[in-house]
Amino acid sequence: MNDNNSSLEQQVVIGRLEDFDPRSGNLGERAIFNHRPWVILFCLLATLLLGYQASKIGLNASFEKTIPTSHPYVANFLEQRSELSGLGNSIRIAVAVEEGSIFDQGYLDTLARLNDEIYLLPGVDKPYMKSLWTPTTRWTAVTEEGLDGGTVIPDSYDGSPASLEEVRTNVARSGEIGQLVAANFKSSVIFVPLLEIDPQTGKALDAGTFSRRLEVLRDKYQGEGIQIHITGFTKIIGDLIAGLVQVMLFFVAAVLVTVAVLYWYTRCVRSTALVVLCSLVAVLWQIGLLASLGYDLDPYSALVPFLVFAIGMSHGAQKMNGIMQDVGRGTHRVVAARYTFRRLFAAGMTALLCDAVGFAVLMVIEIRVIQDLAITASIGVAVLIFTNLILLPILLSYIGVGAKAAARSLRAETAELSANGKHPFWSFLDLFTRRSWALGACLVGLALAIGGFAISLQLKVGDLDPGAPELRPDSRYNRDAAFMTQNYAASSDIFVVMVKTPEDQCTRYPTLAAVDALAWQLEQLPGVESTNSMAALSKIATAGYNEGNFKWYELIPNDGALGAVQTRAPRELFNQGCSLLSLYVYLADHKADTLARVVETSEAFIAQQRLPEVKFMLAAGSAGIEAATNIVVKKAMREMLFWVYGAVILLCWVTFRSWRAVLAAVLPLVLTSILCEALMVGLGMGVKVATLPVIALGVGIGIDYALYVLSVILARMRAGDSLSEAYYRALLFTGKVVMLTGITLAIAVATWAFSPIKFQADMGILLAFMFLVNMLGALILLPALAYFLLPQGLFEKKSEASGLLQPVGEA
Amino acid sequence: MIGNFSFTRALLLTALLLPGWATAQSAATPQIPLLNQPALQSAKAQRSVLLAVTRAGERLVAVGERGIVLLSDDSGASWRQARVPVSVSLTAVQFVDAEHGWAVGHLGVVLHSADGGETWVKQLDGVRAAQLALASAEEGGDAKLLKAAEWLVADGPDKPFLDLYFSDRRHGYVVGAYGLILRTADGGASWQPWMQQVENPEGLNLYGIRAAGGALFIAGERGLLLRSSDNGQSFQALDSPYDGSFFGLLGSARGELLAFGLRGNAYWSGDRGASWQRIDTGVEVALSAATRLADGALLLASQAGDLLISRDQGRSFQHLAGPAGASIAGLVAAPDGSLIRVGLGGLTRQPRDLPSAQR
Repeated sequence: MNDNNSSLEQQVVIGRLEDFDPRSGNLGERAIFNHRPWVILFCLLATLLLGYQASKIGLNASFEKTIPTSHPYVANFLEQRSELSGLGNSIRIAVAVEEGSIFDQGYLDTLARLNDEIYLLPGVDKPYMKSLWTPTTRWTAVTEEGLDGGTVIPDSYDGSPASLEEVRTNVARSGEIGQLVAANFKSSVIFVPLLEIDPQTGKALDAGTFSRRLEVLRDKYQGEGIQIHITGFTKIIGDLIAGLVQVMLFFVAAVLVTVAVLYWYTRCVRSTALVVLCSLVAVLWQIGLLASLGYDLDPYSALVPFLVFAIGMSHGAQKMNGIMQDVGRGTHRVVAARYTFRRLFAAGMTALLCDAVGFAVLMVIEIRVIQDLAITASIGVAVLIFTNLILLPILLSYIGVGAKAAARSLRAETAELSANGKHPFWSFLDLFTRRSWALGACLVGLALAIGGFAISLQLKVGDLDPGAPELRPDSRYNRDAAFMTQNYAASSDIFVVMVKTPEDQCTRYPTLAAVDALAWQLEQLPGVESTNSMAALSKIATAGYNEGNFKWYELIPNDGALGAVQTRAPRELFNQGCSLLSLYVYLADHKADTLARVVETSEAFIAQQRLPEVKFMLAAGSAGIEAATNIVVKKAMREMLFWVYGAVILLCWVTFRSWRAVLAAVLPLVLTSILCEALMVGLGMGVKVATLPVIALGVGIGIDYALYVLSVILARMRAGDSLSEAYYRALLFTGKVVMLTGITLAIAVATWAFSPIKFQADMGILLAFMFLVNMLGALILLPALAYFLLPQGLFEKKSEASGLLQPVGEA
Repeated sequence: MIGNFSFTRALLLTALLLPGWATAQSAATPQIPLLNQPALQSAKAQRSVLLAVTRAGERLVAVGERGIVLLSDDSGASWRQARVPVSVSLTAVQFVDAEHGWAVGHLGVVLHSADGGETWVKQLDGVRAAQLALASAEEGGDAKLLKAAEWLVADGPDKPFLDLYFSDRRHGYVVGAYGLILRTADGGASWQPWMQQVENPEGLNLYGIRAAGGALFIAGERGLLLRSSDNGQSFQALDSPYDGSFFGLLGSARGELLAFGLRGNAYWSGDRGASWQRIDTGVEVALSAATRLADGALLLASQAGDLLISRDQGRSFQHLAGPAGASIAGLVAAPDGSLIRVGLGGLTRQPRDLPSAQR
């Protein structure tokens, strides 16, 4: 960054290439510019190779990557996963009638055809599929002799009113109301368990393909009074992948908008095209490298190409700006390119390093998807050093810039440097270097910080919306999920406590009694709707064994009777070897408070548990995983802020060597971080896997602006300028680029707001906000703070002091 | 899942005969914390499984799982939870006046309240009941009874009381699973095992006990009907009109008697149980509860939620309401005439004029 001092000095104008000494400049510059064809050839080859690799990049939305696998809760879950059959992957398809009831010949025919088609889909665990039409759906009744029963749709079914009436009776005594059949008899469910591995192909289930097949069936059968609602984890993943494809289209939009902004700024087709080309090359390399390293693009890391492109654009614009000014003065394009490289390579490197720090800090969060994001972004930034700091100047040295544009740029610069030609906007910004405006800006900043902080205290951890939080609340999926919760006794927010016992001992009375006691304690908590467990089933089963008499509803302390329940119990409540019980806790929502209460009560219960050889373990189920994620995220939030601010402060100090300057640079960032949290409260967003990286990215990229602006101010003030003069020079030299960067970055990420994937939209909105507010902070609050923190006297003394030590000064 | 309780009686009997049944218990009788654990005050009490409801004067008292006892002084508009020293399922409750009442439940629990249900004291539990049975059998010297009593002790307190009948503040009976019956003559301060006075050689479950026309009647498993005409000194089996299980009884002072049970079966006797006539209920599921309304009409309920009404002391019933409502384990008329139902889904209250308006 110290090179900025020299970068401010104008280089000699050299009109002819022959007059330029190619041995001038540092080693790096000579190595690159004296072998330009080789550099271009290398880049061309790299582009071809990585472009080919990039074409193989996979799209993925892995569930496991988004959870903190090292947290003990998740580790418990992963360890016991194969035994937890109730949490297997499945799809529920509700087929609803708009008018009348499901006891209708047309409805049952449609259901039968859909049922048959789904049965044939690859990946379906056929024997366990269940609907009104499957033979596993039976009714039973207690009689004097024992039990009577049959299939709900009898073999003799012929669609006649009499047989429809029989179906109605059978449904009523099947116990499937609320499970397979809605209580209002307006819909019924096809329950489709899925195989993780297709036995025919030996490959893992492809969620994207399966989901598309379901959509084809939905289109085929929906209509004519039939509505189809589909829920299930595989459908969420399928919808995410579909959304990801759609998001890739936003990339095109982002490119077009930033191109427009850049062209408006330069009015030069040639150089605009070059900058865009180099930035796209950077994205291509990045994706190619990711594919080569075996990474997939997931809904989180898909953000990175947008960032890389936008950062590339702003750095490219900076390079082009320099070259354009030199060419305008008459310097040959090759020499101009070298001059620009000389002036800006170090500044660009520092800025990119800051970005890299912002990304790298994310590695401390032990959630794979965030670590992947960090790696992906680091690769992207590394690539930018090649494409936009090296390749771009070289390409510009061949192609040059439009003569008109160069002349325009020079005119503008000359006009701006003459005192009376100040652009009104610059004059306005200059006001903040005066006492009253500076004081005002600082007070407003302080007020915002206090207000924002007060609001940010209400910031919640975790997902706050019902349904699948990955998708928008009004998405097709979440409307389907709402339909399911309305009509069926099935909450999608399930917290599972696992209870490990010795082999074949899972139905011992003391164990079941403890499970029952925990269940009852948990049921008292607000947000807990109900629970289910082997203990609860044993109570019902005891009534069942005793001719269905309700008075037998109790956990009987009799291991023989309890063991007998096992033979008829559904597998989701216990495992094959009867050594693992699952206590299902159905929650009203997955808000952080609800999850925290369940965790707290369970942990307190476990701490008091004294049963030998019985181990209560948290936590499986969507809510269990989410509880663990919340705990990790909450902890990571503080850690991450500590590291990112620590790194940024260190970098600033290394650059400025002045704690006053560090304060002036970092305080606006702090304000932005506080306001960002307040905005999250306002928008109803929680701190979660998706919003966590935003703060680090925002701070990491945000410090760029301060670095650009403050380094120039400091250099000029050390050279004897007043703050006002120094700030004006900073605005002319880097302020424009700061604005351009802020705007292009904000635009690039703002396109995400339209993503069908909820967390991408959240990330886009927050990042755009942070980029814009950071930009304003650097342009308004920073000079105002500088007025108080960096008074003129400071530099006078310093220059005197340094003057004493070093008689040969800059002047 | 609830639909899966398709278990046969045979399966349970098989389980009973498995060697583990008795021996595992005698090896280590599990500690049952529920017997000494006060019932948790729960916001979900009203939606918990409730198994019986009765009147204590103008007050309503409902009992159910986890030691829950709910009280209402405004005909069921609002409820509050009473203090109960145990956390087991309570199966039946009776008050002889506005203050004195008893509740029975699982693990052989008998509770007594002397303040209209506000507070309860445990008078008996399964552990003590078994010891009483053993002591009484040892005294009696009957080998068969002694063996049964030894089993009772070895099994631990796993047998529920299923019903009770008190004629006044002092005299009452509690009946339960496997023929368990005890009698008190001092308001529950002491209990006498009464198995040897009852003609129930197979030890069938006793589901209901009521007085009618000066006699005492017990109904139970597999059509068991017992009568005592000597003030409870001994109970003799009656000729039963039915093979299936009876779940309850309702008697009148004049000696009319209604017995009801499995698969909608209900029988009426006008001659203190000497002869029975079948009632056509039109219901296919088990009948679980019956109560007398203020105007003398009888109301009979099925587990599925059917309601039937009789205006001729039980000779015939008309169907009032279908199984659309929640399940019913017990019901009673509130002082304001509304109907209070309890079941697996908790409390429901039906407006006062529903039963009569239906005619």
